[in-house]
Amino acid sequence: MSQFRAKKLDIGGFVNIRNIRDHTKRKVFAANEPERQALRYIIRNTTLPQRVRAQAQLDLSQMHCYTRFTQIKNRCIMGGRGRGIFSDFRMGRYQFRLNALEGNIPGVKKASW
Amino acid sequence: MSVPRHRILALLQTQCRVFNTVYNPTRLRTGTRILHQRLKGAAVASYYPPRVGTISQLRALYPDYEIDDEQEEDWLEHLQIARSRGKAAPKKKKTAAESKKFTKRK
Repeated sequence: MSQFRAKKLDIGGFVNIRNIRDHTKRKVFAANEPERQALRYIIRNTTLPQRVRAQAQLDLSQMHCYTRFTQIKNRCIMGGRGRGIFSDFRMGRYQFRLNALEGNIPGVKKASW
Repeated sequence: MSVPRHRILALLQTQCRVFNTVYNPTRLRTGTRILHQRLKGAAVASYYPPRVGTISQLRALYPDYEIDDEQEEDWLEHLQIARSRGKAAPKKKKTAAESKKFTKRK
């Protein structure tokens, strides 16, 4: 869905198409979050007329899949990996180890006992 | 000792006013749960570090200084050499008829 993608590269760090795609999805999600929440509110509110709620359900299901939070996946910002990511450090386990041993991550230190 | 219902409701009302929640004694499903959720879009969108320190950004920041883009210069030089050797890219075709030169072979 390249219609959402930035015309110019706008992320630093490791760049591959999967990271760019995920970044695009994040931006689209952020832009559409209030609308999604509003529709969700209308759907869950049982005091509203049934017709309005059904219409809101339809609208929500018709929204683009990139506006959905479940499309977003944490990826490694240093190596682009999609699995084994420490979400606190936004890095894959091996990149985390390398950077931690190098001392690039503040407050992280190798322990042994 | 049982507490009368209207006392409990009054307590509930005060509690709702203090903690800024919706007073809903009949427990209707009004979807306030969703209105209470915080928007996480900004935090989610800033996951990847932004691209900083590019030549165009530097130029926009410091318009008074001349900033050289070595890569661009190298590329332009390469193009110049290719053109002088007659190895440059062909001219862009303006019309459909021109571009169809090689598609129809008899």
